[in-house]
Amino acid sequence: MSYLFDTKSGTRYLMMGNDAIVRGALEAGVGVASAYPGTPSSEIIEQLSRASRERNIYVEWSVNEKVAVEVAFAASIAGLRSICAMKQNGVNVASDFLLHVALSGTRGGMVLVHCDDPGALSSINEGESRHFARMLELPLLEPGDFQEAKDMTAWAFGLSEELRSLVMMRSVTRLSHASGNVTIGDLPPTDKKAVFRYDGPLGDPDTGPVVTMPVPKNHVLLQNKLKKARELFEKSPFNTYTGPEKPELLIITSSACNLYSLEAVRLLNAGGRVGVLKLGTTWPLPPELIKKSLSRADKILFVEEVLPFTEENVKILAAEMAAEVGIIKFYGKNDGTIPMTGEMNPDIVVDACAKILGITYSPMPADYEAAAQEMLKTLSPVRDLTFCPGCPHRASFWNIHNALAIDNRHGFTCGDIGCYTLGFLPCGFNTMKTSHSMGSGIGIASGFGKLKQFGMDQPIVTVCGDSTFFHAAIPALVNAVHNKSDVIFILLDNSGTAMTGFQPHPGTPLDATGHELPDIDPAAVCRSLGATVEYADPFDIDGTQIALLRLMEEGGARVLIMKQMCALSPAKKGKKKFEVRVDENVCIGENCGCNRFCTRIFRCPGLVWDQECGVAVVDEVICAGCGVCASICPSGAIRKTEARA
Amino acid sequence: MKNSGIGNDPFNVIITGVGGQGNVLASRMLGNILSDQGYFVTIGETFGVSQRGGSVMSHLRISGSSAWSPQIPRGQADIVVALEPIEAIRVMAYYGNERATVLSNTRPIYPVGVIAGEMEYPDPGSIREALGRLTGRVVLIDATDEAMKLGNPILGNVIMLGAVAATGLLPFDRDDFKTVIARSMPADRLEINLAAYDRGREMLLETT
Amino acid sequence: MKVLGSNELIAAVIDAGLCTGCGACVSLCPYLKSHDGKTALLFPCTRPEGRCFAYCPKVEVDLDEASLTVFGKPYTGEPLGHYIDIKAARAGHKMKKGNFQAGGTVSAIMTYALQKKILDAAVLTGRDGLRPVPRIVTSPASVAESASSNYSAAPTVSAFNQAMKEGYKRIGVVATPCQALALAQIRSNPMKEKNFTDPTALVAGIFCTWALDYRRFRKLLEGRVDLNAIIKMDIPPPPAEKMEIFTKNGTVEIPLPEVREQVPEGCGYCFDMTAEFADLSVGVHEGRTDSNTLIIRTERGADAVNGAVRDGYLEVSDLPKENREHLAAAAGNKKRRAMEKAAGEGLVNTGSGRCAAVRLSSITVQRGGR
Repeated sequence: MSYLFDTKSGTRYLMMGNDAIVRGALEAGVGVASAYPGTPSSEIIEQLSRASRERNIYVEWSVNEKVAVEVAFAASIAGLRSICAMKQNGVNVASDFLLHVALSGTRGGMVLVHCDDPGALSSINEGESRHFARMLELPLLEPGDFQEAKDMTAWAFGLSEELRSLVMMRSVTRLSHASGNVTIGDLPPTDKKAVFRYDGPLGDPDTGPVVTMPVPKNHVLLQNKLKKARELFEKSPFNTYTGPEKPELLIITSSACNLYSLEAVRLLNAGGRVGVLKLGTTWPLPPELIKKSLSRADKILFVEEVLPFTEENVKILAAEMAAEVGIIKFYGKNDGTIPMTGEMNPDIVVDACAKILGITYSPMPADYEAAAQEMLKTLSPVRDLTFCPGCPHRASFWNIHNALAIDNRHGFTCGDIGCYTLGFLPCGFNTMKTSHSMGSGIGIASGFGKLKQFGMDQPIVTVCGDSTFFHAAIPALVNAVHNKSDVIFILLDNSGTAMTGFQPHPGTPLDATGHELPDIDPAAVCRSLGATVEYADPFDIDGTQIALLRLMEEGGARVLIMKQMCALSPAKKGKKKFEVRVDENVCIGENCGCNRFCTRIFRCPGLVWDQECGVAVVDEVICAGCGVCASICPSGAIRKTEARA
Repeated sequence: MKNSGIGNDPFNVIITGVGGQGNVLASRMLGNILSDQGYFVTIGETFGVSQRGGSVMSHLRISGSSAWSPQIPRGQADIVVALEPIEAIRVMAYYGNERATVLSNTRPIYPVGVIAGEMEYPDPGSIREALGRLTGRVVLIDATDEAMKLGNPILGNVIMLGAVAATGLLPFDRDDFKTVIARSMPADRLEINLAAYDRGREMLLETT
Repeated sequence: MKVLGSNELIAAVIDAGLCTGCGACVSLCPYLKSHDGKTALLFPCTRPEGRCFAYCPKVEVDLDEASLTVFGKPYTGEPLGHYIDIKAARAGHKMKKGNFQAGGTVSAIMTYALQKKILDAAVLTGRDGLRPVPRIVTSPASVAESASSNYSAAPTVSAFNQAMKEGYKRIGVVATPCQALALAQIRSNPMKEKNFTDPTALVAGIFCTWALDYRRFRKLLEGRVDLNAIIKMDIPPPPAEKMEIFTKNGTVEIPLPEVREQVPEGCGYCFDMTAEFADLSVGVHEGRTDSNTLIIRTERGADAVNGAVRDGYLEVSDLPKENREHLAAAAGNKKRRAMEKAAGEGLVNTGSGRCAAVRLSSITVQRGGR
């Protein structure tokens, strides 16, 4: 049985951190769940959508994070419990609305789960979203293991209702995407009733209109909520201490770093010398608990990701409590004991503790390490990121790159974040020259397109994915059209939110639970703005390049929709359209006229260079059968035939 | 909770490979098999952008007492299962030790840098020799080739799980595997997965 | 002569501003492409030597070698190059009067050569609006479609390369002087291919004092001329000092100094006005609009002219001595100017490895175009 439907409390499951959050929300009787997909948060809504019918939940993939919070907020002030999930930079997108939600307050329990990605394992930033809690004046929770991820989520809804405030709960990749054992609790009844009451007096938290004014009064109320949160957090079971009463060194940690810290203490066999204070409620900090903890030891090490958030907050309290806690030597990110950036792991904590405690620890004998490092250097060639075999983006960037090069006016491509971000790498022929937040490619291009008066005559191309188009590109496209900016806007339409696992979006005809919805045609949106719109199939190499070269002759905002489904889409995955092979008698290999064009330049992982025979070969295990390489082979040696169904 | 049947506690398994090889699935199958038996299992995974042609690693911690870090500390691997041979070297270089057992598939997946001619892919002999220098327990298995004989190269991951079972280093058998497969896959996939598991088991026993 | 690769080609020619966009390096491989008169390298090619470099007429071409290939004798530096005879010529009665320039001599000879299967394909340069478009033509009737001057530098040799790739063995080409020089290099088998045969059957050169950079020329005309309505372009003889562009909506005149500003830099280093490396060369007949000057340079050029005359495609007559002298003077002037410019910039006989422009014997250098 799936943990989603198991009503028997006490059963133990192996689940991902995100699953644990889902179960916690189910146990809290969540009524509405909304999100925009973003690694490592996406599974939360995906899983909730599976339970939506049985547990009577409205689940939505919203157009972007800000709207997702607005949708969930509506549920809250209609008396339901609601949850929103997003990756770290999603909070930036939602932050304007969040600022106002903080001030207006909530009714039904409302939890914002924001999953940070320390180390940028699946991100193009290493944003630290915890700072928003302090900035927006909202309480912040951080689960320290898998069981806590479930328990804390369930608890957070009640906390939200008690405080009448949205509660932020921060996860990280190593928790959201890691798995551990979780013992489940009860599921509540599924009957829920929504009604928005607005007839009461202004300022009545249950019945009045929900507005942020009067601001001075509401701001005081908000600060009072934080004061109350502080009091509640003093007694929270999610703040735990492990170790001797008076340790030599106290580690203050939270989230996955809790597990790294415990691991380090074990490896160093230092359980008698080191204590670990794991904080689950990291904003606002409970001062009495902190005072008690600071009094335990005169050496304190902060272990957290990414920025020294808790470190700085604790230091402020330590300064206020200096008379009581005495002089403490602090170790952490600010003094360089722990790197200021990047992901943490047990080894970093081991090194830091070993240094502070004067313990010698070496994870490998020196000669073993030397041999291993030598092998790493000589025998394990690095795997650069690349587009999947059969990926339409490879073909799209091939066409864009070639058209820009043939046009020969130093044209360039602005992009943003999606699988296609890899377009800046050799797998995308180094085509993308700017890449920032969602929708920023067209915004930047809109600016470039107005630099003609300063002598800039480079053609400007910008790309974004179909999901990104709806998320954040439309306002920038409006800007480009309205301001008569000379840009070619290429919509890389692969029919879904491919990077995060193929979630639907407003351009697809299904909702999160697989029910039909009206799909919104991006072409119609663009046309309604006054942009010219054309289509191209990126797998049609010649046709697409000719279209691009023609568009580069024209002015104004031009839209080209490059439509080809993602190779990993359910409709395509595992099904080859073509059988592809290389005729070794025709392949001219390294000779003048080719010089390994397919393997050296096109670099699809499905192609392999046979050094002995001096010809290219198709790796049938890897090849996805898109057939594009047959179009780029200069000697016609790559042959494609329709694959048998 | 269980506290016997595993050598070290936590017992550390790394399943490594390249995006798309079924690495995550293999780690979840193994994790569920052991969780079913009462062990605390922690799995650390990376996916997302790293799936796109990059190296993909899953870390499994098996313990009788508690959850552990989803990242295994340096030099602490007990078993390394590599779905791609050079990934075994990469993992051993960081997590290896002389007591570790390495089970590696033999079929290369060439990094794009190799395809492009910018880097060299080592020959099978050098890979075997290198792994042999890092640990005395190395088993190379033609998992992908066998999987293709069974009709689908993706079954290589299950063949490798069968091989892990045959080492006897972890306390599980065919029935435990079958229970998890039956729970997590459509019924029509059961037989082929069991066949792959059996093949992996046989292959390990043949080579050792 | 040392052959290098595309990297050296880009550095020595394209980046140095010497490229005339002749197309010699294009259609050989997927790396180099020509578009709107400009040649681009799409991706780096790591080959140390390639046909792109070997065929280029602007990478320190050894004119002696080229001359030996075409004429069996070294380059002399005389104003009109090697030739057998110089005539006045115009299309004969077999040719329909059409939209060809001046006497229609080139069209007549190409039509004849295709008709008589002397050629299996002809590489000509047509026009799409203002844009020159090289074409591979196999039917005699299609020659007239590419008969008009377009004044823009065109990648004609790329179409020749394409014709070779398609397997044509007796190709006729209408070539500007730089294109004819590229063809001479192709014919010299610089890559030392086994079983090499000369892919050309007839190279008809056309006189050229300069060509225009297509992109800059188009920019000059934009707003003044409907580019899609262009029927014909002409530069009337001095002292008119103008270019006439005949369109469906009437004739537009552009002052010649404005036009000359659109000449690519690379043309300034050109020693050759009369396509000296062709089998025959055709150009204006001073003072006449219904006739051409025809320089017959090789035996096969002479055979083509004689056959075309015999079968009524071409009429020839003697060219007055005065015309010859004026032509030689003009050609000598171009040679001298180019040599002074190239020598002044160190682009003659570079010495250390191959670099740019030309390689000449010391005698020729001393002659300096006289």
